[in-house]
Amino acid sequence: MSIPPWLDDLLWTYQNLIHAMGVNGLLALSMYVVLAIGQLSLGQAAFMGLGAYSSALMTLKLKLPFFVVLPASVAAPVLVALLIGVPTLRLSGVYLAIATIGLGEVLRAVYLNVDVFGGALGLNGIPERAETWMIFGILAAGITGLWLVGRSGVGRAMEAMREDPTAAAVMGVNVPRYHLAALVTSAILAGLAGALSAHVSSFIGPNEYGFEPAVTILSFALLGGIGTPIAAVAGAWFLTLLPELMRDLPQVRLTLNGVIIVLAVLFLPRGLLGWRMGRKAA
Amino acid sequence: MTLPHAPLLTTQQLTRRYAGLVAVDHVDLVVPQGGVHAVIGPNGAGKTTLFNLLSGLVTPSEGRISFAGADITAQSAHRRAGLGIARTFQNIRIFGAMTVLENVLTGLHPRLRSSLGAVIFRLPSFRAEERDAVAGARAALDLVGLSARAADPASSLAYGDQRRLEIARAMAQNPKLLLLDEPAAGMNPAETVALGELVRRIASAHTTILLVEHDMGFVMRLSDSVTVLNFGRQIFTGTPGAVRSEPAVVEAYLGARLAAKLQAHHG
Ligand SMILES: Nc1ncnc2c1ncn2[C@@H]1O[C@H](COP(=O)(O)OP(=O)(O)OP(=O)(O)O)[C@@H](O)[C@H]1O
Ligand SMILES: [Mg+2]
Repeated sequence: MSIPPWLDDLLWTYQNLIHAMGVNGLLALSMYVVLAIGQLSLGQAAFMGLGAYSSALMTLKLKLPFFVVLPASVAAPVLVALLIGVPTLRLSGVYLAIATIGLGEVLRAVYLNVDVFGGALGLNGIPERAETWMIFGILAAGITGLWLVGRSGVGRAMEAMREDPTAAAVMGVNVPRYHLAALVTSAILAGLAGALSAHVSSFIGPNEYGFEPAVTILSFALLGGIGTPIAAVAGAWFLTLLPELMRDLPQVRLTLNGVIIVLAVLFLPRGLLGWRMGRKAA
Repeated sequence: MTLPHAPLLTTQQLTRRYAGLVAVDHVDLVVPQGGVHAVIGPNGAGKTTLFNLLSGLVTPSEGRISFAGADITAQSAHRRAGLGIARTFQNIRIFGAMTVLENVLTGLHPRLRSSLGAVIFRLPSFRAEERDAVAGARAALDLVGLSARAADPASSLAYGDQRRLEIARAMAQNPKLLLLDEPAAGMNPAETVALGELVRRIASAHTTILLVEHDMGFVMRLSDSVTVLNFGRQIFTGTPGAVRSEPAVVEAYLGARLAAKLQAHHG
């Protein structure tokens, strides 16, 4: 396969931006899965951090090849999702939100204070093993998979839960099980995003996975919408590209994300791409 | 196993307390297999709380529930749906953003068996299951006369139609027991007559109906038996004919009406 020179140049110039779009797209999907069943988690950045740190350590310390590291990077986020998800299963959604906010702070303290994570300096010299095609391949698979699942009985149950969890339970939907499955899926997607980003940026640090990135990830899905997986990804791309276009206006850039979030919530409650998943009656 | 003449549902000393009041007070309900059975009582008597207990939305403070020969007291709401208990809500709870057909399809949820792999790869087994589900949902819509609205958003239906949609969604579950909480509320007389016919059509050897309704004419025409609750207590169970001449029932209703009148005067 040969890439035309002009495309190669373009990819090279905007490599960081393109990688960020792919990784943020995965994070948006991770957020979508939880919001689509009517739950709120603020743990996406924490799950991403777990994927990033565990994969970086597997590469740096265990010298494992990337095709082993990448799938194994979901283990830590999934384990933590289960530890958080199971006790909050039967509680109202607020508890999950609070527990996941706490998670990010606890993990930050762990990264700072446990030697193997490199303390405040983080982990350096991670080889750049994630390729652009891997990031976008996984993103495309994620979008397609979630779309196909959304257009089935599972998707109907998800939408029903989002509208009225009590009525959904009366229809026979195992609501706690869906909550846990969504949280685990979300941890897998965020963990993969973390591993991929760690292996394109060569450095990871304890402050990259705290509360602020968690809110940014939430805003991807709020801006794009949660009616379809592609809407959330579009929101992520919009919020990734916009700061690039505003490079020459750094003061404006800082407040822009906040303004967009407020405007989106007030005037676009269903997001920029607000339509629901089409489920054509067979 | 259920014996032919064993009751479909029984409760033993079923009780639910809230701070400062007993919403359902040691109720021993016996619902035989088949037919229409009514639960009546003044406002606040505990009828909806009883339904919430039976469908698993509220946990009992005391007492037990058996259904089709098994103790279901500890079963969650979604398990009870799978066992054959379906219901409608006094305050309509359709999924407004979904289409009418999709609403009914949610009722078929416990019967969907496709694995995640079959769903993602759209295997023939998944396609066949979806086709059957859609056919089942359409049949339920036919039953209540809403087929023409299948593709419309459920929130666009008129009030009476939303109530019928709830019945279709519950019937898609192919229930053994259908709990109807004030199905005629907000319906005009013509709609109420049509609803009565619908209830009669649905009630069968397979589907037993437990009905809460304030429209006494409706209850008396349709019901095989009537249970009366007052302040959470079961004060009467018998035939519709006998209920009218039962002094305790008359008193409960007159008492409630008197209280309402007094409140109107003083409030
Ligand atoms: N969640 C709750 N918390 C506190 N009290 C409750 C709760 N649910 C019901 N109650 C009280 O329990 C009593 C029975 O209420 P319920 O809704 O079962 O009555 P009902 O017979 O259905 O009345 P209506 O005919 O008005 O629908 C009422 O006094 C009500 O205020
Ligand atoms: Mg009621």
